[in-house]
Amino acid sequence: MKLVGLVGTNATTSTNRQLLQYMQQHFAATAQIEIAEIADLPAFNEPESHVAPDSIQALSDQIKAADGVIVATPEYDHSIPAALKSAIEWLSYTTRPLINKPVMIVGASNGALGTSRAQAHLRQILEAPELKALVMPNVEYLLGHSLQAFDDQGNLTDTDKATELANDMTAFLDFVTLTKKITPENKFMEKNQQFSWRQITDGRD
Amino acid sequence: MKLIGIVGTNAKQSYNRELLTYMQRHFKAQAELEILELTDVPLFNETADQAKYPIIQTFNDKIAAADGVVIATPEHNHSVPSALKSIIEWLSFNLHPFDGKPIMLVGASYSVQGSSRAQLHLRQILDAPGVNASVMPGSEFLLGRAQTTFDDHGDLKSAGTVAFLDSCFAKFMKFVTLVQAMAVPDAVSYQPGTYDVTAVGHNGNLPMSVTLSKNRIEDIQIDTSTETKGIAEVAFQRIPKAIIDGQTLAVDAISGASMTSHGVIDGVAEAIKAAGANPDDLKKRQAKTNAAPQNITDITTDVVVVGAGGAGLTAAAKVLQSGRNVLVVEKFPAVGGNTVRAGGPMNAADPDWQHQFDAIPGEKHTLTEITQIDEATIAPEYLADFRALKTQIKAYLKENTDQRGYLFDSTLLHRIQTYLGGKRTDLQGHEIYGQYDLVKVLTDHALESVKWLEKIGVEFDKTQVTMPVGAIWRRGHKPMGDQGFAYIKALQKFVTAHGGRILTETPVQSLTTTDGQVDGLIAKGPNDTKVIVHAKAVILASGGFAANTKMLQQYNTYWTAIDDDIKTTNSPAMTGDGIRLGTSVGADLVGMGFSQMMPVSDPETGELFSGLQVPPQNFVMVNQAGKRFVNEYGSRDELTQAAIDNGSLFYLIADDEIKKTAYNTTQAKLDAQVAAGTLYRADTLVDLAKQLQLDPAVLTKTIADYNSYVDAGEDPEFHKNAFDLKVAVAPFYATPRKPATHHTMGGLKIDTHAHVLNADGQVINGLYAAGEVAGGIHAGNRLGGNSLADIFTFGRIAATQALKDELTVTVD
Ligand SMILES: Cc1cc2nc3c(=O)[nH]c(=O)nc-3n(C[C@H](O)[C@H](O)[C@H](O)COP(=O)(O)OP(=O)(O)OC[C@H]3O[C@@H](n4cnc5c(N)ncnc54)[C@H](O)[C@@H]3O)c2cc1C
Ligand SMILES: Cc1cc2nc3c(=O)[nH]c(=O)nc-3n(C[C@H](O)[C@H](O)[C@H](O)COP(=O)(O)O)c2cc1C
Ligand SMILES: Cc1cc2nc3c(=O)[nH]c(=O)nc-3n(C[C@H](O)[C@H](O)[C@H](O)COP(=O)(O)O)c2cc1C
Repeated sequence: MKLVGLVGTNATTSTNRQLLQYMQQHFAATAQIEIAEIADLPAFNEPESHVAPDSIQALSDQIKAADGVIVATPEYDHSIPAALKSAIEWLSYTTRPLINKPVMIVGASNGALGTSRAQAHLRQILEAPELKALVMPNVEYLLGHSLQAFDDQGNLTDTDKATELANDMTAFLDFVTLTKKITPENKFMEKNQQFSWRQITDGRD
Repeated sequence: MKLIGIVGTNAKQSYNRELLTYMQRHFKAQAELEILELTDVPLFNETADQAKYPIIQTFNDKIAAADGVVIATPEHNHSVPSALKSIIEWLSFNLHPFDGKPIMLVGASYSVQGSSRAQLHLRQILDAPGVNASVMPGSEFLLGRAQTTFDDHGDLKSAGTVAFLDSCFAKFMKFVTLVQAMAVPDAVSYQPGTYDVTAVGHNGNLPMSVTLSKNRIEDIQIDTSTETKGIAEVAFQRIPKAIIDGQTLAVDAISGASMTSHGVIDGVAEAIKAAGANPDDLKKRQAKTNAAPQNITDITTDVVVVGAGGAGLTAAAKVLQSGRNVLVVEKFPAVGGNTVRAGGPMNAADPDWQHQFDAIPGEKHTLTEITQIDEATIAPEYLADFRALKTQIKAYLKENTDQRGYLFDSTLLHRIQTYLGGKRTDLQGHEIYGQYDLVKVLTDHALESVKWLEKIGVEFDKTQVTMPVGAIWRRGHKPMGDQGFAYIKALQKFVTAHGGRILTETPVQSLTTTDGQVDGLIAKGPNDTKVIVHAKAVILASGGFAANTKMLQQYNTYWTAIDDDIKTTNSPAMTGDGIRLGTSVGADLVGMGFSQMMPVSDPETGELFSGLQVPPQNFVMVNQAGKRFVNEYGSRDELTQAAIDNGSLFYLIADDEIKKTAYNTTQAKLDAQVAAGTLYRADTLVDLAKQLQLDPAVLTKTIADYNSYVDAGEDPEFHKNAFDLKVAVAPFYATPRKPATHHTMGGLKIDTHAHVLNADGQVINGLYAAGEVAGGIHAGNRLGGNSLADIFTFGRIAATQALKDELTVTVD
């Protein structure tokens, strides 16, 4: 199975990147995780043309080709970082590759709560009509005190947290397989891709 | 009430912008609502240097100064736009202007719910500890179906919506007052007494004593003797007063004297701590700024001068001597500009005076060398003077063949040395040298300037003739007292005593013209006042642009590279404003590609006088690989280019004996710098290398080689011209150095009467320029001590000519 692991920050060092790298290594037997970065994407500015800049198109193609996406988000001011929000806005505004795409949210933060509020926001965001991702329910993988969470080899030091992640990963792989069965070439796909906020309020929807 | 409105999107078209613009108009009577746009705000990045983006500082300052903030947010994907999230992240990371700030949320969106989800997210975001804003509860103003709600004038169509917005806003006004009342800090109480504390100022320790009564700061006394004269005074006058008047430590530092300002604030904080109170409580006490509505000051005068540095105050004094009115408009809180930073001596050939002094070894040699210069290399316009000079020199040498002789000088020698010293070729192969007619005026009238300054009240030390650094010849007239400040002190006193007016903290922003004649200017005064000046003539004396790295890089044709983070020896005011003002009315520029660097400057502050500054014969310079890389006795330009080629940062290595030859420091200062990590000291070279993260073997070998050259009296590697001491006696020191920008030779094109010229070589009526803002004289390299000669000479000429042209006053 092919997955994209999206690093939810533009920071040069990130425990969320570390978390994805850990998953990439440890779950290599069951899934091939490609890590995608957002650091070099332009800032979203709602241009008149709805054409994706090259770097967004590349990310979008990568997501389209994958069976599912894992987003690892930090928490900045009780929400997701602006850089991640900007990447999502681009995708929603241009190519919309996340429609019907299975997504698992994980997050690492330096504080105790481990991104719970950012994850709740991200869930709501990904369910907006122009994104319509299939966010995996019932899973909330929160890695608190993330600066202390990994050893020098990049392994999780807390075995309970490692087991929890392995279980969540298994559940996600099942979720991807299941959703594939129920959404073959979804008939709303095309319609969703044409969704526009201006349109619904013009009463044309 | 002063409010800030933030348009929560960077999109070109936005109903949220329309909503805020409507609110700005609609609530004009209740509040001044200033709208800020996110267009230029970069995406937040933890590791980016926020100081690179002035826009973030602008947001910070404006929000900090406002009574409240209105945020109008669109909804993007059920949340706030990334652009809005981004500025909040910037303002919650190192800066925290939202802390305790009353905030009202409004939102317009296409859907019927009108941004309700975005507003909910925004509430949670603004509640995060790094932001900690006080968001008004309830009164959720949601403008759904935004594209249908405004009429052609941008007014809200529905009376019901307007009424609801009115009620939300009225509630917000009350909310602001409520939050402000809550923010009044708890009473602070001190253990009464006088506390002696020591804060760190710019040049070292600032001893002060602070007197506290039970609940007031009563008095602040500071020993000001160590801080720089002419720079620090404003801080000493204003900071203690602001602290006592406001009973707060939340006072702004003075531009140009921020280190002294922070020193004073830190010292008072120290005393407050000693008196058992928490200085943070006083830092939270906002000195209430009652933002005055925009005032306009309209002034009519005969001559207006831009910049109160040496050239500007000279021009002003000259106008006053003719009984005319003058106004000097100065950007900074203190007068003096770079002139107060100058070493002091000004060049002027005064043979009668110089003849009293004996010649020193080497001078005859220098003169002989001049007579041997190939005439083919001398520019034709200088040739006649060059030949006349040779005759003078030969006569002098003949007269003194058998004796040591006196110190020779003449205006011709000054002129030819200024010409030769300024001759340079840039990277594109263009040669430049000082314009003959301007150099002639400078050298012919420099002595007159000395005499004129004496009449104004500058006293010179006649007992010694000095050679300023980089001057080539001993013809420096050194004022008594504090170096460059000595001139400013006398000039300022003269100007104010004779009815001249000086407006400080009033940067000039534009010139005004009528039918091509410059007839005044517009400036921004303190508290956002607008100052309009009408005058018969405008004299630009606003200095150079060595503190404007972008501009230096833009014009540079001489250095292979100018680092983005290069520091400067200049006052931060030197941003080339006068050059921009001049070109805005068509002025031509000359020699802009050539700037002067000071190779041995502090990498963090650009200053000369940190670390160990020793005579060049004792410099041992090593690069970041631990190797020597240049003849340490080379010219400023040679040292600078070599440093640039070696990655800019290098170290001056010294031992305990070399330390004794330093002319800038004391043991206490050195100890403090070692403790602060700005100077390195170790008992062995190996240890020193480790501290510098150099290979110990390389550094040890470099020094061993150097010491062997000192023994042999010859440096086969770089051919250092003169050396003195070896590096041998522990402890060893390493002073980090980098080139810093120092002087800009290029500038506005002027004629010999200081008229500013346009690209066709024609005079721009009403506009004059003097000092570092003008170009053409020093060309590729300014000789030490020539700048002061220039500013006092051309400052007088500019005033004289302006009076003659525009006021038909003839000055002797
Ligand atoms: C550290 C140092 C040491 C030096 N040593 C020597 C030396 O020993 N000998 C020598 O000859 N030269 C020396 N120089 C050079 C010399 O000091 C300057 O070239 C000279 O002082 C420039 O004088 P000025 O009157 O043209 O400008 P300044 O004295 O710099 O004055 C310009 C004034 O204009 C103001 N201003 C700028 N923009 C605006 C605006 N928009 N509106 C209103 N006001 C504005 C500035 O705030 C400033 O007060 C030295 C320079 C430095 C930095
Ligand atoms: C602007 C900013 C705001 C932050 N706000 C929060 C926050 O609200 N909650 C939290 O747990 N951590 C917060 N943090 C710290 C983050 O937890 C931490 O930087 C990040 O989540 C760790 O992930 P990373 O290692 O992938 O960067 C904030 C960090 C920044 C830079
Ligand atoms: C990337 C993107 C995502 C959007 N998501 C939403 C949304 O979740 N809910 C909504 O009501 N409108 C949404 N819109 C439309 C906005 O409502 C509309 O652009 C904006 O709110 C109108 O305000 P403005 O004119 O100030 O931009 C979205 C628009 C963009 C460009």
